[in-house]
Order: sequence, then structure tokens, then C-alpha cells
Amino acid sequence: MDRLKSPSEFAELQERLRFARDPSTPVIVISAGTCGQASGANDLIRIAKKELLRRGLADRVHLRVTGCHGYCESEPAVLIEPGRTYYPKVGLEAMARIIDAVAQGEVVEDLVYVDRSTGKRIPRQDDIPFFRRQVRTILSRNERVDPIRITDYVESGGYAGLAGILERRAPRAVIDEVKRSGLRGRGGAGFPTGLKWELLAKEADGHGKFLVCNADEGDPGAYMDRAVLEGSPHSIIEGMLIGAFATGATEGVIYVRNEYPLAIKHLIIALRQARELGLLGADILGTGFSFDINLVRGAGAFVCGEETALMRSIEGKMGEPRQRPPFPVQKGIDGRPTAINNVETWANVPVIFDVGAEAYARVGTPGNAGTKIFSLVGKVRNTGLVEVPMGTTIAEIVDGIGGGAIGTSSVKAVQTGGPSGGCIPTPMFSLPIDYDSLAQAGTIMGSGGMIVMDENTCMVDVAKYFMSFLKEESCGKCFTCRKGTQRMWELLDDISRGQGTLAHLDLLEELALVVKDTTMCGLGQTAANPVLSTLRYFRKEYERHIVERRCDAFVCQELTGAPCQSSCPLGTEAWRYIAHVARGEVEEAYFAIRQANPFPSVCARVCNHPCEERCRAGSTGGDPVAVRALKRYVTDRVDPMLFRPTRTPVAGAEETPIAVVGSGPAGLTAAHYLSLMGYRVTVLEADPEPGGMLFSAIPAYRLPREVVKKEIASLLDQNITLRCNTMLGRDVTLDGLLEEGFKAVFVALGAHKSLTLSLPGEDSAGVFPSISFLKAFNQRGEKLARGRVGVIGGGNSAVDAARVALRQPGVESVTIFYRRTLHEMPAFAEEVEAALQEGVNIEPLAAPVRILTKDSRLIGIECVKNSLGTLDESGRRRPVPVPGSEYIVPLDTLIVAISEGSDTDCIAVAGANRVEVSAAGTVRADPESLATNRPGVFAGGDVVTGPNTVVDAIAAGKRAAMVIDRYVRGEPLVQPRRPRLPEIYVEPLVPEGEGTPTARAATPRLSIPARRRSFAEVEASLSAADAAREARRCLRCDLAFFRGEVSRPPLGAEVNSAPSPLRAGDPVGSPGPCGSRNSAGSQGGRP
Amino acid sequence: MINLTLNGLPVEVEPGTTLLEAATFLGFPIPTLCHMEGLSPYGACRLCVVEIGEGPRAKLVSSCTYRAEQGLKVRTSSARVVRARRMVIELLLASCPQSKTIQDLASAHGVRQQRFRQEHEDCIMCGRCVRMCEEQMMAKAIGFQGRGEHRRIGTPFDKRSEVCRLCGGCISVCPACQLRCTYSDPDKVICGGCANLAPPCLEKPGFDDLMCYMKPCVACEISK
Repeated sequence: MDRLKSPSEFAELQERLRFARDPSTPVIVISAGTCGQASGANDLIRIAKKELLRRGLADRVHLRVTGCHGYCESEPAVLIEPGRTYYPKVGLEAMARIIDAVAQGEVVEDLVYVDRSTGKRIPRQDDIPFFRRQVRTILSRNERVDPIRITDYVESGGYAGLAGILERRAPRAVIDEVKRSGLRGRGGAGFPTGLKWELLAKEADGHGKFLVCNADEGDPGAYMDRAVLEGSPHSIIEGMLIGAFATGATEGVIYVRNEYPLAIKHLIIALRQARELGLLGADILGTGFSFDINLVRGAGAFVCGEETALMRSIEGKMGEPRQRPPFPVQKGIDGRPTAINNVETWANVPVIFDVGAEAYARVGTPGNAGTKIFSLVGKVRNTGLVEVPMGTTIAEIVDGIGGGAIGTSSVKAVQTGGPSGGCIPTPMFSLPIDYDSLAQAGTIMGSGGMIVMDENTCMVDVAKYFMSFLKEESCGKCFTCRKGTQRMWELLDDISRGQGTLAHLDLLEELALVVKDTTMCGLGQTAANPVLSTLRYFRKEYERHIVERRCDAFVCQELTGAPCQSSCPLGTEAWRYIAHVARGEVEEAYFAIRQANPFPSVCARVCNHPCEERCRAGSTGGDPVAVRALKRYVTDRVDPMLFRPTRTPVAGAEETPIAVVGSGPAGLTAAHYLSLMGYRVTVLEADPEPGGMLFSAIPAYRLPREVVKKEIASLLDQNITLRCNTMLGRDVTLDGLLEEGFKAVFVALGAHKSLTLSLPGEDSAGVFPSISFLKAFNQRGEKLARGRVGVIGGGNSAVDAARVALRQPGVESVTIFYRRTLHEMPAFAEEVEAALQEGVNIEPLAAPVRILTKDSRLIGIECVKNSLGTLDESGRRRPVPVPGSEYIVPLDTLIVAISEGSDTDCIAVAGANRVEVSAAGTVRADPESLATNRPGVFAGGDVVTGPNTVVDAIAAGKRAAMVIDRYVRGEPLVQPRRPRLPEIYVEPLVPEGEGTPTARAATPRLSIPARRRSFAEVEASLSAADAAREARRCLRCDLAFFRGEVSRPPLGAEVNSAPSPLRAGDPVGSPGPCGSRNSAGSQGGRP
Repeated sequence: MINLTLNGLPVEVEPGTTLLEAATFLGFPIPTLCHMEGLSPYGACRLCVVEIGEGPRAKLVSSCTYRAEQGLKVRTSSARVVRARRMVIELLLASCPQSKTIQDLASAHGVRQQRFRQEHEDCIMCGRCVRMCEEQMMAKAIGFQGRGEHRRIGTPFDKRSEVCRLCGGCISVCPACQLRCTYSDPDKVICGGCANLAPPCLEKPGFDDLMCYMKPCVACEISK
């Protein structure tokens, strides 16, 4: 192409290019930035070219290879113009079908984007929620332009702004225009660009002036500059040309990091094409204005993004910041005035001259004009580049565009601004994103990295990660930055290993403030931000690491061990029995379970398996290991009686009678462990049979009665006396028990009443609280449900009630009304799924507002529709009633199962016995020591927590046994916690010729028709082959603790020498009474 | 002349004067390790920080690199400055406890504890030796290598320097490694001895051919 000699020649060229293009010709746009290429865009391009040629469509269908479009989650993606059909994650076969459809002017319905929440297909890109909520001023250019064709850029309106400016020849007006637009530097600090240019323009140009484009993007997780450089290099060149004309700069430099090869390639091509066309170099467009741009590649030092270090790097020296003043504008590269702007700032300049300063300033908020690109990454559903007007709230970006958290976890915080930024917790998500609000919240805009964190992210670990990054990347010149980052990392490392003290926190804060205060450059001054902001918003998490030695995100290895084990309230070594299952050693596996848990068969059926929620196989993106199904496999194959727990009698225990009130899981567990220590335990039960909630609340199709009976029988021994039909408050009192000679009493009554809706009419016939409904059936066989049944609630109790009702005669339909969506339901997902299979209807986003009665008999309810609003404290989206959406549902039975319940019966009993109760209606006991206000009286389980899981009740019983033992022996009740780490090595076994299976084993279930009217158990156990295969999916987190260990200890060797069944200092994570690592050979083995 | 306020006193200094020079001249001593008369200001040790400006815009800057500005308000020992300075000294103590200079600083500023993991480093990376070599000895034999915690001082590619004249200037200006001996491996010897102090040199071959600048030399003293 010939060199253009005047602005009018340029205008002619632009006109000609526009005229040559037929807007109705279909164009296949393939996004092939670095991210697209990494996910296979190059193959798509090859296939597309081949197929177009083969079908002879090359003239009728055009192909455009562009930079990144921003929706990285769905790369490789294809966009079809002019219909703007969007195909995400296009495979190689799909490409051929798309080409056929394009040629026919059709849309391939099954390949287009499917909305996750509504299940609707959305063909048009602009209708997809991720794109719809953005304002894509800069990024939309990437779709329109092939970055290696200057004609594409010119045709789409590029360089027209520059040509206009060159024609008018008024540099001052250019600066005024930029000032009026309100553009602020996109690199992080937000310095007004117009002002910077004005300062540069005022400097005398004795030896020339420099303009620099800072493309040394180095923040972890931020890559918006790369996308702009790759996708639209000419917009940066045009921006710099406009800047040069306005300020009188003579030389330009683009400082780009060498890790961006594609960006460098596109820039080199773009610079060459611009020079050839007469848009760059000497005498641009024949106007006498000269300006050229050189490319300088950075060698990968993060600090070279700091402007003074960047200038030194350009000069060929070591990248090291220096004192400002003098500012670069006064004394920059080689001592000459220099203005440095970020990639995105330069890319914004042509936009101002395209739409006009006033229109530009209207986008965003006053003082923060225009749009900003963020790279949204981390634990969020839609990752990618997001361009929004300044002042958009974080919630809008994370939830609206990002689609919220992945899976069932909830978002905890967002980290902005890279290593120099800070974290913003969920309650502050209504914060508008602009330079000033973020600074007030203790973070910075930075270049625009936005890392979403969920509950699997440990904030101490986050701070530690950034500190380890900074201690490597600090230039090292300032002593406080070099040593300060290293020392902060050390302190954080101590805390994350459980070696921290509270003094660590004070020192950390003190040091962080000094580092912030005393360093020379921006890197050091902001280096403390990750520490300061996490300390500010997540101090509790730090304290938990220090005081409780717990990492609630299960990240810090030395506090977590294997997540399955540390997340289990009982400390069950799940990894260990899974390893045994993988080796085919079922008995060893059973003993590993039974050591920690006296109710293995019960937990194998009804446990809420926190181990699976925390399983690394799941939290790293796949499916968690089916731990509970494996436990079921093991417990189904071993008789509970086979296990002989170790008895470690405590001196004087035989003469120490202890009373346990309640024979549910908590009470029986306490009795069992106290009995193992030799105490004489009397268990009081109000019902005729022991079992408590295991019988009364849990339906038989989930937990067969004979399983419970067998397990309870295995726990009772000569030390335990059972007194049934004895009720506290009616037959005995606490005073009476203590007078009788019991040294301590453990109160574990359970919770037997549900919370009410507080709506009038709730006492009318046909309305039942869920616990009463379940108890009536489970204990007395009363079938209370009939006709059309409604259940209100979303917890397990609601699903249980619904499934029990469905199995009762005379029931036509069962509907669960829940105020949020299925996604937020607290009930176990597998229970919900089973209920849906059995024919239970679930009406999400519905809340009852009125109970309709006739002659004090229920005839229906009035519901209101909800929509999901902003996040609440629990990280779930709050249900907001939609006005005017009320509707009436006729019902014959209503079961109220809103979970937060308490038990007024027990409260009355406790009160009468002078035991303190809380405002929430539960017995008040110290969570650590379980001690109530009365000495010698302890309480645990549902009576303290309100309705809760079985496993938590067992854990409370275990803890009770330990603290009662300590109480009797006069020891301090609470002892410091020690993290439970894997201690036993089980050699992994991989059979020859088998790779790691990837699909989670499905639990076998009874057929749906068989389930409808029967109470037979629904879930069955896995086959031996399935179990072994599933067990081999385990990532074996425990192996990290046995580095270098090669052989197993000899069979039956004593590894764990703790004398007590419940080890001191470790209340719940105990290995249990069986102290041997391989019980088959020693105690607990076959008789 | 430039007018500024120094600890509340209106003072007048020549243009181009740094805050450190001004304060020292007017009798407000400011501790420093990396600064040395005759060498260019560098601002590495952060010990000489002073507070400038007022209200929310007040900030700490290194006085050795900051030049006096018209109307500037400078405080050389405000609470903020003292707190920062004491933390810097504590960090120095944690890294180089054996340096007499640093011990004296700690003593003078009442720093009696250090709460970090104790290290025994020989160098605080103040860069005096580098600037001495470049600016006074015109040799440029040594310089900084690496960054962050891997920053250290050495010759290019750690090869024996062709331009080093073994003048010893680098050692004589070192604030951290006084009373220590230079390294003596003839293949590796560099005049940036302050960075490579590990074992004293007597048992090294070729010791007799080398000059030793230390008077008295610790190694020689011990071997006696």
C-alpha cells in the first residue's frame, strides 16, 4: 500500500475500505488471543480455512482471526457476523457444522450458549448475561479487527481521530479535550492523563521528549493489557500519536514484557504497517509532524512496571526505582522529559476523539470517567475480561457478570489490584469500583486484576502467597521493602504452620505499617496492603490459625493434614480407610472408621459428609471422592461385634458413677467412651428404647432400624446401665441424680420441636411441625398426611418430611416450597435429587405469607414469589419478595420444616433444673468444655446447638466423655488444640495397567416405582470393584506427610502409643480407642 | 535560596541541598548507613527517613535523596519517624547482629529486642561499596546482582574482575562488615569482599600472595 501524503488521502482510503465491504457477507470471527490459542483456536482456524476452501465458500463466507473477546471461560469461541451468533467452546467437529450453518444463514441450536440458571439457549452474543451487562468500548474493538491488518483498523474508524487532529493542528485543544474527558491513568494510581500531558507539553524540548506505553503487566491473575496489545495494537499506536502531537514528544517507547510473544509479534507488525502507510515516523500524513515508536522488551522483573524503574530499564540499567521528585515529566529517560501511561490509558485516547470528550465523560461516575477492564479470575463461574463503566459495584461484576461462586461454595472476598492491592469482603460488595472508594477500603484499583475467593480460600495463605511473590520481586534496594517483605512472609509462614502467637499479629501489623511508610517506590508502599487488608477484614481467621490451630479453608497444610480428616467432626481418618479399600482390606478399613466413630453404619447412611465438601478432588474442580458410599461399602461387610475397642481404665473409675441423660447418638457415644475408661455409666432414656433422634427423626428408608439396633447393641457393655422410660423432669431431677451419687451428669436430650412460621392459622388442623409429623410416623406409625401436601423449608427435615408424606396412603401430591433456588437448598443434594426422582415437586423462590383455613381446617396457603437479591452475611443471595406476585395454592396438609428449631420441652426441663438457657432457646454450654452453669453438669448435642447433624452429636458425645474424665480427675477441662496430621502410612496400590479413574462412582439406588410406597432402604452399597475403583480416585493428601517413607511398619506394630482412648489436647480429632495401626493382628481382631 | 521549615524552625538553604545535608548542617543529626559524603545519594537503608508535609498528605521520605523545596515542612524526629526508624534498626539487628555499627545504632535508639528469626548476614545491601568503586575509584568492578531476597553484590558473572585494582575502597566504606577479613580464594577474589566474608582466609591457598587490609585482622588474631 502506498504511503499516504495528507489527511485527505487517509479519508479517501477509509471511505474506499468501507465501501468495499459488504455488511451482509457472513464473517466467521475466531478469537485467537493467547488464551484462545491455548484452548485450541489455531486448530479451529485451520479447520475453518480448509472447510471453506473445500466447499468453495471462500468468497461468500469470510474468516476473521482476532484477539481475545474476553469470555475466557468459553474459549475457543466463534462469533458469526452479522447475526452476532456466539458459539462457546467449539470443538473441531462442531466447526464444520457451524460453517455449513453459516453458509445457509442458519444457527446451530445445540451449540449455542445455554444459560445455567434458566436452561434457555441464547444464540446472540449480546444477550448472554456475561456480555449483556458490560459496556465494551475497548474490548469490542477486538472483535472487529484482525490485529495484523491495519486496513481492518482503519475501516472500523481507526486513525480518523488522529487524522482530524493533524488537520486542525491545535495541540492545546487536544490536551483540553483529554482533560475535559476526565480520563485518569488506568495503571492504578489514577493520575489525570490530561494533566500529565499538559505538564509534559510545558517542559522545554531541548533534547526531545519521550512518551512511554507501560505494557509491563505483571500482576498475578491480570491480563487485560495483553488482550488489548494482542487484539488492537493500532489503538495504542494511535493513542500515542495523539499524545505525541499534543505534548510535542519526539520519541515513543512501548515497554512490553517478553513473556507476551504474541503481543510483541502483533506490535511489530502493527508498527511496520503504520510506518508503511505514513502514519508513523517522519512527516506523518504529510503534515510535517514526526514521531516514531520503539519496542523495548522487559526481562520479567515485576518492579519494572514502576515508572522510575521502567525508565532505568529502558536506559539499559538495572530496574531500580529512584526518588521522585524529580518526576519523570521533569527528568525521565536519559534526563529528558517523559510521560508514561498504561496500555489501557493509551487505548482509551482514540475513543475520546471518536465519541467526543463530553460523551466520554458521561460514562462512569463524576471524577471517574469511562470504562475499565477487569480480569475476573479465581473462584467464579465466568472468568474472563470484563469491561464496565467506572462506579459499577463489585456485586454486579462478581454475581451479575461473573455468575457467582462455583459449585455450592460461597464467595468470601475479592482481591483487587494484584500484589499491591487488598481484599474486600462480601459485606462490602456494594462498593462502587472507582479509584477513591477502593483506596478508602484499603486496596487499590491497580491495573484491574480481580481475584474472586470463596470459602476454600484461606486469607492467611493469600497474604502469604502475595508476600512470597513480593519478596522475590522487590528490587531489593530499599532495606525495609527487601527485608520487610521477607519478614512479613516469615511471620505469615509461622502462623500458617500453627507456630504463630498473638504477638505475631501485632508485630506483623507494626512491620506492615513501617514498610508502607518508609519505602521509596509504589511497590514497597503498597507491599503491605495484602497483609493490612486481610488483617483488617479477616483478623478472626488469623486468630483461628493462632489460637485454635485451625485453617477453616483447609488450605494451610500443617494445620489441615488431610482435609477429609480435619473436616470430620470426629477426626475420622477417611484417607486411611479409603487407602485400605483401595488395597481390598475391608477389615482394616472398618477398624480405621470404628476407632473414630462408634456409629459407623449410621454415619455411612445419614452423615452430611463434610469430608466430601472439603475433598481436594472436589475443591480443585472435579468430583469429590464418594467417601460416604465407601464407608457404607465397608460397614456393610464387617460385623460391628468384630471390633474390640481398647480399654484403658482410669484409676478410680469403677467407683465413679456418671449419669447420661438421653440415649441418642450424643448420649450413647459419651457412655461408650466413658465405659472404655472404666467409668460406671447410667443412661436415662425417656422412650422405651434407646436411639433418640436416630429413630424418631430419620425415616427408615434412609436408616433401617435393625442397623441402628445392631450398632447400639455393640456399644452397650457391663459398665453401662440403661434405664428406659425415665424422663428428666418427670421421673428424675438433676439435683436428685447428683444426690444419688453421680459425680457428673451429661445432658443430651436432643431437640424435639420445630420453629413455627409465626403466621396466624398455624394451629389449625392439617398443619404439622415437621418433627412432630416425623415422630408421629416413625414412633407410632401414625400417617398424618393426606391429599395435597405442602412442605415449607429447604433443609433435610423438609425433604425427609416430603419423602415420608409421599409414601403415605391417600397422598396425591407433595410440594416443597423454598424461598431461594434449588442451588441454595441446605438439604443434601443427593436427598433432593432422590426426592425429585420419587415425584416430589419443588417450588423454588416461594415463601408463604398467609395460611388459608376454613372451619379451622387448612385449605391452602398464599405464597409470594421471591427474586434473589444481593449477598447476605452467609454469602448466599438474599430472597426478595416480588410485589404483586402472590398466588394461592390449595392444600390439605402443610408441614412446616423451617430448620432453625429449638426445644421448649427441654428448655423447660433445663430451667426447672437451674441450667442456664440461651435466648435462642437452647441450653447454654461452653462450646469447648460443654460445661453448663452448674458444676458437674455438662450438655451437648442438639439440646445445645438446636437441630443438627448426627455426626456433630457424636462428636459432642466424644468430647463429653473426655471433659467429664478431666472434670472427675480435677484437670483443666480445655486444653490447647493440636492439629491432627496423618500419622500412619498406608502404601498406595495401583494395579497394573489401570489409569486413575475420573468419574465418581454412583451410589446404587432402589428403583423409583419400588420406592414410591415402600420404606425399604433406598441406597445400596457399592460393588467391590466399584468401591476399589472409587477409592483409587483419592488424591491421598496424607502422603504429603510421609515423604521419604518407603516401607510400612511391621503388621500390628504400635504406632500410636497414646494411653488414653481420647488423647489429651485433641478433643475431637482422636484416633479413638483402638490404638494400633493395624488392629487385625492385635487387639480388636477376630476372637 | 530556598526557605523551608525544619522541626519548626524557618531555615534557608542553597538550592539542591538534600534534607539530610540541611538537617545535619543545622544540628539535627539523622542516622544513616547507606549515605556517605563523596558518594551519590542512594536511599537504600531507609534509616534517614524524615516526615514532610502536613495532615493527611504527610509522608516519610529518605532525607538523603530528597532535595529541599520551597516552603517544605520537615520533621526529623516526629513520633512517626522514630517508630519507623526503630523498626528499621530492629530489622537490621535481626539480619546483621554482629556489626558494631548496627549495635551502636540500636543502643543509641533504645532498641533492645529483635522479634524476628535471627539471621547472620554480612551485608545490608547499602550499596556504599558499589558506589565507592564506581564513583571514587572509577573501576565499576562490582555491582548488584539479582533482586528481592536474592539481591547480592558481586562482579559481573562472578568472574574475577579485570578492572579491580584491589584498592580495598569497598571494604573501607562498609558499615556492616567492619573488623572482618576479606575472602582470599585467588580465583574468586573480588574487592567487594564485604559481600563474601564467609570463612576467614588463613587456610586458603595463596594467602601469602594476597594483600590483607585488615588491621587488626580477626583471622590473624584468632590464629595467634
